[in-house]
Amino acid sequence: MVSTKVMLTGSFGVGKTSLFKQFLFSEFSERYLTTIGVKVDKKVIEVDDDQLNILLWDVAGEVSLDKVPHSYFLKSSGIIYVFDLTRPLTYKNMISDIEYIENKVPGVKVKIVGNKKDLLTEEQLEEVKSKLPIPADIFTSAKTGENVELLFMSLARKILGKEE
Amino acid sequence: MTQTMENQSSSAKELAMLGQIKSILLKDDRAEIDAIKKTLYRKEELAKEVSPIVEERVQYIKDNFRKEFGKPVDRIVEIKLEESKEQLLNVIYPVLGQMIRKFVNYQFQLLKDRIDSQVSSVFSSRGILGQIKSKIFGISSSDMVLSDLDKPIIEEVYVIQRDSGLLLGSFSRKVTVDKDMIAGMLTAIKSFVEDAFQREKQELELIEYGNYKILIQNFFSYYVSVAVSGSLSTKERDMISEKLLEFAENKMPDNLQLIDTELQNQISEGLEAFFNKDIFED
Ligand SMILES: Nc1nc2c(ncn2[C@@H]2O[C@H](COP(=O)(O)OP(=O)(O)OP(=O)(O)O)[C@@H](O)[C@H]2O)c(=O)[nH]1
Ligand SMILES: [Mg+2]
Repeated sequence: MVSTKVMLTGSFGVGKTSLFKQFLFSEFSERYLTTIGVKVDKKVIEVDDDQLNILLWDVAGEVSLDKVPHSYFLKSSGIIYVFDLTRPLTYKNMISDIEYIENKVPGVKVKIVGNKKDLLTEEQLEEVKSKLPIPADIFTSAKTGENVELLFMSLARKILGKEE
Repeated sequence: MTQTMENQSSSAKELAMLGQIKSILLKDDRAEIDAIKKTLYRKEELAKEVSPIVEERVQYIKDNFRKEFGKPVDRIVEIKLEESKEQLLNVIYPVLGQMIRKFVNYQFQLLKDRIDSQVSSVFSSRGILGQIKSKIFGISSSDMVLSDLDKPIIEEVYVIQRDSGLLLGSFSRKVTVDKDMIAGMLTAIKSFVEDAFQREKQELELIEYGNYKILIQNFFSYYVSVAVSGSLSTKERDMISEKLLEFAENKMPDNLQLIDTELQNQISEGLEAFFNKDIFED
């Protein structure tokens, strides 16, 4: 079994902790308890015949990524960049944020995630998609659990080199 | 006129005398210089003088090479050139650490000797040193006496990859909560503190937590964290540090790119061998 570090990042309140909890414990809460510092937890997942021990870092959101302690990024194999589909401010700096990440951790596998999908209709989602500076990889709802498992599985496959 | 002639002849006399004195005084030196010149100019003479010294050194290095340089050289050679600098540094780090430690210990010994020789024998040197130590490190002498009673115990040892916080191996006396998570959180704390107090290359070395002290020793691409219960003197801290360097040199694999169960088991077995005993008994 291989161990790997995956980090959740993005602006505050976009639902990082909620995705973390949905993935780890299949639970969700409407209450917003902002993360202080960072919380590390783990989950072992099966990918085909391999096991992957994911150490997941849920980092406090900041308005801009350079406010996050820079060593939190280092040696990550995967980074999940989350934005809130209902708040344009959370995806407006996407290009520079992704550049920042790729600079900090060359070669890291990144997933760009639009969260809170449950709050949008199909049409609204299409409208937001057309406004995104970079297309997102996946749209999730930490509340209903939609695509959460899929997000982590596809990232794991990417880390293990099983998928581009 | 007569005056000048007299002057001249007297200064000539002086010169002659000076020459005589010179030749008397410098006679031995001159002989020595001549001898050295002779040796230097005549190759075979020089060889006769120098060869034995060189040969002796060469022989010494030949005889003691394995002992003096064997281990690090073996391991350095093992590492293929095209492999990363990181691996090389992982090998060199503990060796460097050992050298620095030896140097510092030597300096301390010198200091101690100097103090011993200056202080009158009425006071025992141990007492004086103890007092100096307790002034420097802020431990009262009575604490130091007490610390003899409450022996420290190494409860847990974690070897953790830098930055990723991934656990590379561990040893513990009792079953604990998930070690992967402890390793991750410790790393997050360490990163946070080091980021927050961004002083030139300063690293976190000690966390006190209830009855526990968590010592942190940094290596190139990993760090080792030791949880100790009981009280810990400077000397015992030093012993732990020494053991860790020894462990790093002898038991740590150089390639830490892929962290899997096999690597973790290998490192954990190494830790077990080193720390599952009382390392403080003399
Ligand atoms: N409807 C809905 N609400 C969500 C979803 N994800 C998160 N939330 C809510 O959004 C708020 C913030 O969620 P968190 O998960 O705490 O956000 P965060 O990104 O961890 O925030 P920081 O820790 O401050 O950086 C909470 O009130 C959540 O209940 C979602 O998918 N749908
Ligand atoms: Mg959070």
